Amino acid sequence: MIYLQLFLEFFHIGLFSFGGGYATIPFLYHIAETRHWYTAKQLTDMIAVASITPGPVGVNVATFAGFTTSGVLGSVIATASVVLPSLIIVIIVSILLKQFEDNEYVKSIIYCLKPAGCGLLAAVGVNMFLNEFSLIGLGLFIILFVMSIKKKHDPLVYLGISAIIGLIIYLVNSNM
Amino acid sequence: MEKSLYEIFKVFFKIGTLLLGGGYVILPIMQSELIEKRGWIDNDELCEYMALSQSLPGLIAANLSIFVGYKLKRTMGAITAIFGMVLPAFLFIVVLAKILEELINLRFIQGIFWGVGIGVLVLIYLAIKEIWSKSIKGRFTFWVFFIVFLCSLCLKISPAILIILAILTGVIRQFILNRNKTEVKE
Repeated sequence: MIYLQLFLEFFHIGLFSFGGGYATIPFLYHIAETRHWYTAKQLTDMIAVASITPGPVGVNVATFAGFTTSGVLGSVIATASVVLPSLIIVIIVSILLKQFEDNEYVKSIIYCLKPAGCGLLAAVGVNMFLNEFSLIGLGLFIILFVMSIKKKHDPLVYLGISAIIGLIIYLVNSNM
Repeated sequence: MEKSLYEIFKVFFKIGTLLLGGGYVILPIMQSELIEKRGWIDNDELCEYMALSQSLPGLIAANLSIFVGYKLKRTMGAITAIFGMVLPAFLFIVVLAKILEELINLRFIQGIFWGVGIGVLVLIYLAIKEIWSKSIKGRFTFWVFFIVFLCSLCLKISPAILIILAILTGVIRQFILNRNKTEVKE
């Protein structure tokens, strides 16, 4: 039963990957080794693709794995399974939060969780920066950064400009 | 402003479409679409949802969409939001699955990838700046931020463990506050 297997594997990822995004990757490699729904090479390519296609990496890979194993129905099942645990857990937490929003311990926990979440995000940002570090990259970062000081633009503006500059740099490099 | 399910779907479909370069971009995109353009939530709420989304299992972008969807229109809102957020990703991969490999090997596309990667970094930086003002209020919260940041960046401690420690810190902090209060009374 390929559909049941897809459901179980991706439900498992949705349930056990903490910290989001790249936390799912070890699970996905494990599936490549045990299930042969895709190869490790395909997964590496998928992660690269996920950075330009819409949506989180986990959703992209779930759709892809479902599609390669059993077509559109498989991709629907795999994609739904990977977000189903989130749907259940977050709705329960939302209900509990509403019920206990005046509890001082809950307030104190959120008070501490906010800076902790901010710290995790900052670490992700610095890591990404170090991974992609190059002089041209730093230059582009500074240009976009300076642009943002005067006025905060729509996110699309930054993504559009950086995509066009990336393309131009590629074209210049390949013609030299 | 009336928030119909159709409207929630439309906004989250747009958010899902703009979600390039990994789930974290969802934060600046939500700031722009939900807070600045529509005023459906405020920065304080987004900051809280982000912290909780990182603490719970599952994809952060999915958790965050469900939190906001639930806030807007309860369970149906949550289901609509996650459906809208995931749909663009799903359609894109299903349509392109057959030619994905050839697509990645096109060199000029890699140039675009690279550029977008830098754009995403700037967006994440801007999002942190905004969240910063909502989460770091005084010395105590600054130290929580700083310790988590260092442990995650330098020691590579898993986010799950750091989140559990932050929750414990919150409990202990309140416990100490309560004890001090009773001491003052006595």
